[in-house]
Amino acid sequence: MNRSQMTTSISRRGALKGFAATTALAGLPLRAFAQEATIRWWSPQGAPAQVDAYKIQIANFEAANPGVKVVFETTSDEGYAPQLAAAFSSGEVPDIVTHLPSFAVQSYYAAGLVAPFNDVIEMIGPDDFYEGANDVFKAADGNYVGTGIGNSAANMLWLRTDLMEAAGVGKAPETWDELRAACQAMQKDGIYGAPLPYGANSMTTLIFAGVIHQAGGQVFDTDLNVALDSQETRDALEFYGSMRELCPPGATNYSWGEAITAFVSGATATGIYTGRVLGNVAEQNPSIADHVTCVKYPTKSADIPAWTFNDFPSVFIPAQSQNIDIAKKFAASLFNPDGYIQQLHAAPGHVLPVLKSINENPAYQANEIIQKYPAEVDLMSSAAAGGYNLGYESSEHPSNDKAGEVVGSGLIAEMVQRVILNGENVDQVIGETAKGIEAIMKG
Amino acid sequence: MAQQKQTLLERRYSMLGLMLIAPTVLVFCAVIVYPLISAIYLSLFQIYTPTLAGNWVGLDNYTELLATGEFWTSLRTNLIWTVGTLTLQIVFGVGMALVLHQNIWFRSLARSLILFPYFISTVVAVLVWKWLFNDLYGILNHLMMGAGLIDFPIDYLGTMPNALISVILVGAWKYFPFVVIAVLARLQSIPEQLYEAARIDGAGPIARFFDVTLPQLREVLVVIVMLRAIWDFKEFDLIFLLTGGGPVTSTQTLPLLVYKEAFALNQMGMASAYAVIMMLLMLVFMILYIRRTKSEGS
Repeated sequence: MNRSQMTTSISRRGALKGFAATTALAGLPLRAFAQEATIRWWSPQGAPAQVDAYKIQIANFEAANPGVKVVFETTSDEGYAPQLAAAFSSGEVPDIVTHLPSFAVQSYYAAGLVAPFNDVIEMIGPDDFYEGANDVFKAADGNYVGTGIGNSAANMLWLRTDLMEAAGVGKAPETWDELRAACQAMQKDGIYGAPLPYGANSMTTLIFAGVIHQAGGQVFDTDLNVALDSQETRDALEFYGSMRELCPPGATNYSWGEAITAFVSGATATGIYTGRVLGNVAEQNPSIADHVTCVKYPTKSADIPAWTFNDFPSVFIPAQSQNIDIAKKFAASLFNPDGYIQQLHAAPGHVLPVLKSINENPAYQANEIIQKYPAEVDLMSSAAAGGYNLGYESSEHPSNDKAGEVVGSGLIAEMVQRVILNGENVDQVIGETAKGIEAIMKG
Repeated sequence: MAQQKQTLLERRYSMLGLMLIAPTVLVFCAVIVYPLISAIYLSLFQIYTPTLAGNWVGLDNYTELLATGEFWTSLRTNLIWTVGTLTLQIVFGVGMALVLHQNIWFRSLARSLILFPYFISTVVAVLVWKWLFNDLYGILNHLMMGAGLIDFPIDYLGTMPNALISVILVGAWKYFPFVVIAVLARLQSIPEQLYEAARIDGAGPIARFFDVTLPQLREVLVVIVMLRAIWDFKEFDLIFLLTGGGPVTSTQTLPLLVYKEAFALNQMGMASAYAVIMMLLMLVFMILYIRRTKSEGS
């Protein structure tokens, strides 16, 4: 076909169609770039002050990224697992998730549900993180599954110094025997000794895993074999059972909310929680604000080191997100000093900074509560930095990507309830629990 | 003689009929048949919930669940809950309907207010009851301790049998207004002559209730019992929010077990197997209900 023939074979209608098609194709990328993106952000940390801080971070990010909208949605500590399971299976996932424990992120990453986070850590500045802060987020393939948005020391022993003085308790308990004796001395006039959780929930599981370590035991050995069937677990159950009479009757149904409320309201002489206690006391019960302090939770004997439960509140990005690049940018922006400090100040002492530059920042230190309780905040910071959780039981343990399912199964909480509330045979219950956990590890 | 050939008009009417019911059939298939077949299909696999990846296991899920004690204890709890709460709903519902049928002051207001528990969301109702039951600040413990009835607060939701009794009572409180509405409507249509005849025959209030009112309520009560039995059997939110199935698994009914398998243990296949078994159990109630309504219709 020569040129003249080709020219004559194109009709006017054909040319118009071609023009229209070319115009449409040319318009596609423009429309794609101009398309507004909405980022869905999930977090179980949804206290009003925290949400206010998030709103400021969102507004800053939206202003710097026109066309991008960020929507914050609250989940809960007890409810995030089913919500995310439903989200992952339906494909309707949030674009960014924060404040979930590190072991949950490892579980999701192992199932291929989480995007690698290495480049976000690069954007934030890896040298600014405390040494080893991201070890807990390192997966078996060498990638980082997320990073910490903060640290938390979740099983600090909170004490009322005025009640200790009145009961003749001279010093903060360091061993279980001392703790029990102190609680017995302070349990009077309608005030209970402690608000330990005995409910069928994740708090009981996570706190009791810590009690096993405080007895010198462990749930998994360093090869991630189930190591629950031990004398240390029996000792932990015996101690936990002996504390039952020192807790309010409703502790059989306690989770995080009830546990903190019991201490902050003055119903119990001791507490077990993160530094959120400080903010809540200042806001809800200032009359005890001058009589509140914390120490690491006691162990079975003085020669056993304390074991602080740090859930390593995380930030990660689901692999199914349709806006991964923008979500990564937003994740990095959460660590910008102004917004990050505001976020930390929303619950001072509760979520502790993971960046050295933030901890040293005068704006962070200028907070009223951080200034009022410097010893407590320092102690929580150091305890959290050396803390562990069920997915990372010690520095010798590899990351356990089944820990999220072990917690979700409720087997450890069920063990506590069966032995302490139902009075079932300890050996049989521990054996059955160990088998149940083994099945999860194999599954 | 061979069947007569349809006329064009008859064929068109048949087509029109098919077209008219087609949307209903399609919706039925989409919301009933598809999920049903899907659940049965899923129950034959071992599936990890977040990824929905799985492998074929045939009937293994069914043999495993029937062999575990957890299924049978949950079924037992489910039956105790259903029978317990339903009985109380009927007793309170009929009693309240009889009161509201009388010429009492503010009858209209009382009839409106009685529906309140049924209308408020379960989450709100549970929050209110959890505060009432609270060991440290709950009004129930406060009043009982104030009256000297108890020395220490009662643990309503964390020990047995308190937890199951509390759940049953809250369930009865939440759903008895449904019985009130249905029974009250029937009471208003009982002919007054029956009561007059009973009075002339010397029947007192109790005899009139058992010989006139109750037989007249029989039909409506049968339908209420069947409907509420189906609804109570699959109740999830109220029990989950009040106790989470605890202590241990003492208040764990089958719907809670389905949820636990699907979203805590991430075993969607096993959860589907539990759901299919639940459906078969509820089918008994449904068959009874359908037969009942059919016989009433005829």
